[in-house]
Amino acid sequence: MTNLKNYSWLALALGTSLLASPGSAATTPHMPDFGGYWGRNSTDFEPPLSGPGPVTNKGKSFYARFGDDTNPILKPEAAARIREASKATVEGVNFPTPSNQCTPWTPPYMWRALMVQVLQQKDQITITTVGDQQVRRVRLNAAHPKTVTPTWSGDSVGHYEGDTLVIDTVGVKYGTNSMIDNYGTPYSEGLHVVERIRLVDAETARKAAERSEALNGRIEVIAGGASIDPEARKGLRIEFTVEDPKYFTTPWSAAVTFRPALGVVEERVCAENMHDYNSGADVPVPRADKPDF
Amino acid sequence: MPRARSAPLAGCLVILASSAAALAAFAQGPAVPDLSGTWARMTFGLEPPSSGPGPIANLTRTREGRSDGNQLVGDYNDPILKPAAAAEVKRQGEISKTGTAFQDPANQCAPQGPPWILRQQEIRLMQERDQVTILYMLDGHVRRIRLNSTHPANVKPSWTGDSIGRYEGDTLVVDTIGMKVGPVTMSDNFGSPQSEAMHVVERYRVIDYADAKAAFDANEKDFGRVDTANGNGVFIDFDYRGKGLQLEFIVDDPNVFTAKWGAKVTYLKAGGIWSEQVCAENTREYYDDIDTKIPAAERPDF
Repeated sequence: MTNLKNYSWLALALGTSLLASPGSAATTPHMPDFGGYWGRNSTDFEPPLSGPGPVTNKGKSFYARFGDDTNPILKPEAAARIREASKATVEGVNFPTPSNQCTPWTPPYMWRALMVQVLQQKDQITITTVGDQQVRRVRLNAAHPKTVTPTWSGDSVGHYEGDTLVIDTVGVKYGTNSMIDNYGTPYSEGLHVVERIRLVDAETARKAAERSEALNGRIEVIAGGASIDPEARKGLRIEFTVEDPKYFTTPWSAAVTFRPALGVVEERVCAENMHDYNSGADVPVPRADKPDF
Repeated sequence: MPRARSAPLAGCLVILASSAAALAAFAQGPAVPDLSGTWARMTFGLEPPSSGPGPIANLTRTREGRSDGNQLVGDYNDPILKPAAAAEVKRQGEISKTGTAFQDPANQCAPQGPPWILRQQEIRLMQERDQVTILYMLDGHVRRIRLNSTHPANVKPSWTGDSIGRYEGDTLVVDTIGMKVGPVTMSDNFGSPQSEAMHVVERYRVIDYADAKAAFDANEKDFGRVDTANGNGVFIDFDYRGKGLQLEFIVDDPNVFTAKWGAKVTYLKAGGIWSEQVCAENTREYYDDIDTKIPAAERPDF
């Protein structure tokens, strides 16, 4: 809790001092280079080594999603929502998610992406996910508006702290399919996410990726997982903290670790993919008996 | 298949790659023009090219002589159109004359590719060593342009196509082929069709404020401002007197057009915060000024 509040204060303070001279923080000498495409072979969040962590998968596989409803971060209503989602998995179908319903991916759910791109400019960071072209924009050295209109990406402001990009996000819209993770964990519009993005060495990245794949199963390249550059010398690690008093008993943390990806980036349009990876069949598309108008 | 990043270029730029400060130098250095930023305009209309055949015009004009954005009846007699394309433009125009919008990629929330996507009012252009990324505001479309690369021998068609780019002096030149053709794919605001042979070459450069503003004003005179003031999610910093961005593009599709044609699009610096606009959430029919009906089944399908 304390940490999160510190970040908010810092973002606000930086915004206030730098807004008068936009572009003055155009290039910090220590700005790390996050360029290129980053991939991984898991859609799950890595739990922290200690402290409150994300809901994990009791199913231990990407294709069997049973969120651990006993995680102490969950308030009763949140745990109930996870149990409800797990029921669908028991029945052998996917419960609706932003991914399979082609609805916008919100932070931190968007970090389930198998491939991302981080574009750094003097006044803005742009994060795109390769699946369905989701785009997030982070205003650098700015403050959140006093009144934020909720949007799917939320209002994100960022700044560099040495080699780390810190992003503070509020104002994330909540819709029918919205969730925090792959297990139906809910959030409210009181959600506050702080992400810390930095480069790590290749060995650290490899170990983190392998730990994540061991916990939740590996998504092979043929199934849409990224093709990782074996000669890569670095990784991209995103550690984030989630705070939402409506659904969580405490702020909690998680991470995702990407490595440089190989290959041409393919255009993936969500609505064009009818495949249900849970059942292995194509999803039926609603059909009307007669036209409505 | 080529890698997303160009190996030869990466070799040339290995020194630049070593630090982010160098990256900034890349963006501002004399060899590469700085085109980065958020750029906007207030119409969906295309401007005449520098020379040669231009885009087809709207036969329906307002009393002030402007293109009537609520009745898109393309000039199907334009010699640029092959007979089948002319018939298609005429057919779409007949629908438009009834007061109903014909289906297009924007109102059907379908993926947009070039040249159609070049109509969009607000873009963010981002330059990196080996790639240029262009974001389009409506529906968050993303185009990725590999720099100093080549098209694959066999391009797998995609909605945005395969785009490669290079700098020629002060100009970014983008060459795109391999655009997929779907049920609502079209190459302009009037429903001119396109085939998978479509080839588009775009040239982006910054121009002086006076030239940009003159082109911007002329375009608004021809098409009318889509909103009466800053609005529609598009914001322009009208107090800014710096450079504008101008795109000039050439469209070549021998299955549809009798010759290549070109057009310009001129942007001023955008202001405000980029709006999140999710197409499927907007059910407004701007023709009728009503919300469109959503299909509803009497019983669930499954």
